Amino acid sequence: MKEKLEALLKEGSARIEAAQSENELQEVKGALLGKQGSITELLKEIPKLDVALRPEMGKAVNNVKNLLSEQIEGRREALKLKASAIPEDFDCTVPGFEPKSGGLHPITQMCYDLNDAFRSMGFEVFSGPEITSEYYAFDNLNFPPNHPARESMDTYWLEGHESGEANDKLCLRPHLTGDSVRYMQTHKPPFRFVYPGRVYRNETTDARHERAFFQYEALIVDKDFTYTAGKVMIKSILQKVFGQDVPVRMRAGFFPFVEPGFEIDMGCLVCGGKGCSVCKHVGWIEIMPGGTPHPNVLRAAGLDPDEYTGFYVNIGLDRLVMMRYGVDDVRLFHSTDLRFLKQFH
Amino acid sequence: MKLSLNWIKDYVKLPEDMDLTRLAYDLTMSTVEVEGAESLAERFEKIIVGEIKEVLPHPNADKLRVCRVDIGEGEIKDIVCGGSNLDAGMKVVVACPGAMVRWHGEGEPVEIKNAKLRGVESFGMICASVEVGLADLFPAGDDHEIMDVTSFGAPAGTPLAVALGLDDIILEIDNKSMTNRPDLWGHYGIARELAALYDLPLVEFPKYTPDTEEEYDVRIADVERCPRFIGAKVEGLSVKPSPFEMQSRIWRVGMRPINALVDITNYVMLATGQPTHVYDSNHIIDHIEVRRAKEGEKLQLLNDKELLLSTDDLVIADAEGAVGLAGVMGGAKDSVLPETESVIFECANFESRGIRRTALRYDNRTEASSRYEKAVDPERCDQALSLAMKLFSELYPEMKVVSFKDRYEKKLERAEIDVEFEWLDRRLGKRIPQEIVAKKLGTMGYDVTFSDKGMHIVVPTWRSTGDVSIKADIMEEVARMYGYENFEATTITTSFDGAINQLSVDLVRRVKEYLAFRCDMQEIFTYPWMTDEFVNALMPTTDGILALATPPAPNERYIRSSLLPNICKAIVKNERNFDEFDIFEEAQVFFDGDYTSDYEGEKLPAQKKHLGCAFVGSSDKVTELFRRAKGVIGSMPRFTHMEGFTFEKIEKPYWADETVWLNICLNGKKIGDLALLSKKAALACGIKVLSAVLVELDMDELVPFKSRTNRFARTPEFPMNEYDLSFLVDSMVKWDEIYAAVMTKKNELLRDVTFVDEYKGKQIPAGKKSVTIRLVIGSGEKTLTGAEIETVANGVVKKLVKNIGAEVRTV
Repeated sequence: MKEKLEALLKEGSARIEAAQSENELQEVKGALLGKQGSITELLKEIPKLDVALRPEMGKAVNNVKNLLSEQIEGRREALKLKASAIPEDFDCTVPGFEPKSGGLHPITQMCYDLNDAFRSMGFEVFSGPEITSEYYAFDNLNFPPNHPARESMDTYWLEGHESGEANDKLCLRPHLTGDSVRYMQTHKPPFRFVYPGRVYRNETTDARHERAFFQYEALIVDKDFTYTAGKVMIKSILQKVFGQDVPVRMRAGFFPFVEPGFEIDMGCLVCGGKGCSVCKHVGWIEIMPGGTPHPNVLRAAGLDPDEYTGFYVNIGLDRLVMMRYGVDDVRLFHSTDLRFLKQFH
Repeated sequence: MKLSLNWIKDYVKLPEDMDLTRLAYDLTMSTVEVEGAESLAERFEKIIVGEIKEVLPHPNADKLRVCRVDIGEGEIKDIVCGGSNLDAGMKVVVACPGAMVRWHGEGEPVEIKNAKLRGVESFGMICASVEVGLADLFPAGDDHEIMDVTSFGAPAGTPLAVALGLDDIILEIDNKSMTNRPDLWGHYGIARELAALYDLPLVEFPKYTPDTEEEYDVRIADVERCPRFIGAKVEGLSVKPSPFEMQSRIWRVGMRPINALVDITNYVMLATGQPTHVYDSNHIIDHIEVRRAKEGEKLQLLNDKELLLSTDDLVIADAEGAVGLAGVMGGAKDSVLPETESVIFECANFESRGIRRTALRYDNRTEASSRYEKAVDPERCDQALSLAMKLFSELYPEMKVVSFKDRYEKKLERAEIDVEFEWLDRRLGKRIPQEIVAKKLGTMGYDVTFSDKGMHIVVPTWRSTGDVSIKADIMEEVARMYGYENFEATTITTSFDGAINQLSVDLVRRVKEYLAFRCDMQEIFTYPWMTDEFVNALMPTTDGILALATPPAPNERYIRSSLLPNICKAIVKNERNFDEFDIFEEAQVFFDGDYTSDYEGEKLPAQKKHLGCAFVGSSDKVTELFRRAKGVIGSMPRFTHMEGFTFEKIEKPYWADETVWLNICLNGKKIGDLALLSKKAALACGIKVLSAVLVELDMDELVPFKSRTNRFARTPEFPMNEYDLSFLVDSMVKWDEIYAAVMTKKNELLRDVTFVDEYKGKQIPAGKKSVTIRLVIGSGEKTLTGAEIETVANGVVKKLVKNIGAEVRTV
């Protein structure tokens, strides 16, 4: 009988584990512990045994019965969990849901990055009117009266306002620098401010030229400011924008509103200055003009150029964004094409 | 502009071991941008002089020959060639394997390889001039003529660049980097900069004195436009090719040699930057006069362009009429002709603006006009005259100047500038030794007198045409010649008090970030000019809209007073690729009116910052589009921290649907619109399928909060219960009325009521709609029982029935 009991435990145990559903388990339970179950049948045989053997066998059978009962309950819990489990064919490689897809224009993004950088250095953000008089577009900025930029083939003059005195002639602003004089006239020195915005040139467009484009200008004006401090300013800004220390060089350049004027180059980040196709094999990329405000500009702003000096930088935002993403056609920025704009989220 | 390094070396003796990269770098840093430097020796690499020893017939081709060619040190190679002028003893150009040549002068350069031509092995190639890019210097008589270099006397095997004296470096200068420096538009000007940079002596041109007393008759009628004119009649000349070295130099820097007389004038211009001209003296009647063109006067230019002149044009004329367009181009009739034996040589100075106007008027910019329009100084005529006369006498030993006149009516004042050391040191951030300042400025032609406190500087004439006039210019001269890189970076010391606090600047950014990041909208940029079809579709009138004098296109003359026309254009563009999208733009708009300005003397038209939005989607989801737009705009004040708007119906926008429109108001003032674009306007725009709800808002009217203003509210201690009610009501009843009906004299346990949904259509009787609302019911003191909740809900039902005649469907 002992052997029979052991065989029964082994077999019952196996059947319980094999049960794959609640129903199957119920069947197994019946077959083992039910009224005609094999354990029950075995219990019924105990009275037939020798008296001396009965207590021991009774205990053994009950023990097996309890073991199987426990195992059945355990199996039931396991089956319940299994029933609510995720099927094995769940595919972890399915793509995630895209988050919402709104976004700022890539030029706005760059502009805000620069705003953050300049603001951390104590610069205010200013903006001026896009329609300006010739006075603020050119005269105030030391452009000689015959400067080619004043001609209609370069500047968008307004119909009915294209002739007359400097204050009567109106145009879409050809650059931002005029706004610096507006700021200086209405604020008290020393100055530290940026004035980003869109400017307009009447020209034929192609992949590198646009009629409307964005500039980002910054001006610092104070007493005893040396132009070399301007270099520090540029380095700090580029470091913030590109996330690394960027070599900067300032070389001779000419712009009417600065004296001395500079072309400011940054070391090519693509080749590390060794020379590559991006930097036309010179290791440097021209990124912005800059320089000390021309005395005539400071005078227009109501300042004494012997007392005050400073530093301008003028960053071409379109160009910088093109470098950031490798965009090869400046006209895409005004294309309104969402297939393009949605790439910069 | 191209510059020959050998030519520059005529005027400044650069060290033999001068590192070219260093020179290009230094010039770029201090003066002009050097865009490239090409070694001509490299261009002609593996191209050598060969001597034909024997010309044999080709066994398999009538038109080809097999040449036995000595390629140096007695090495003889067979080269197959089809040249028409092959002869034993002739020295030819051999492109050895590995050389780059252009086949018949066309296409990209290809590499020469050993090849079999019609069964005969050929070493490289005997070249025609066009194949090695030298057709301008060695014009071929016919297509099959190969280049003959016998006359150069170079032994076989000599590299071609050495044989022809082309062992030169050509610098390419970015013209844009020297528009303000008229003195640099010639080799001498750049040589002067290098002399100052490297502290080397600069060669001077000797002063020319004519050996004739005879005066040539030169008259100047407009001294302002022509301050100086030198005329010289030169005899004993002829038309012949100029010496190879002169031709070669002209060719190296990008011009074409023509004949000795014309080449002299071009050579002088390329050397000194001063344009000069020669006229055949047989065709100049009596005298030369510089005057304005007469009304109706005509002139045929050298390039055969026939001009009807303007009275603003300055011309060179003789007794009969105009013979040249001053400073721009000579006339056809009086130019150098094959039989020319004597010339009138012109070396003159013209006022820059007039030259520019004339060149642009006839779209006829030339090497001469592009120099004059940058303001050449009149003193430079002396250098040009000196060099020209030297060249005439070298090329024509028999030549004679028979009459001469230097009419110099208006001298240029040299600018004078005082610079205090204290100021200079302060601006440069360091003191530069006086001897360095003196040396640099001196080499560049400045006359400097030092005193205790500063220096008095007299600017050379070639920098006095507007380029250098103030002490900041002197600071620049000193700094760039000392080397910008030799100034240590200094930190910014300016100090400011107070943090930056710009509420309206911040508000614009918050609004844009709200729309982009919270509302899932894409920012776009459009141009300020609008296309006529969109203007007509969306604006009731063009009154009050500004226009451009020279628009980008005839139908793009109006500049925007509203952002919506260009936003609609963007909808048309994107409708092809997307069936649902929301876009916005923030930009300035302009109105022809309210001319004012915050700045002195200026009167500007009204300019405002606007926000424009479009919510675009399927035409059967207009309600959804409308609610999306209203949700975005309605929640904007809360999320961007500004004073709240209300929606009112005051004035329907011109472009809006008859029913679906609202005005956006702030403190009772209309500051914008939110409406469905009418079907008519949409069709006029060319929006074919989709519907759009548009928003336009005047951002200048928005009032940012100084700080956050909302207050914390305690979270409820006991549960709030949501209870949905659906009912039928007349379809004209508005949500505002339903809300009002529910909220009048409300039970305090009714915390809120919100709109869930409305439905019209099948199963709903005509003229009715089904509305579902959600009640929020709860107490601050206890958990409500089901019965208590029902009581509140029933109270709402009664009010709905009584106040707006609702039929409650389900409870």
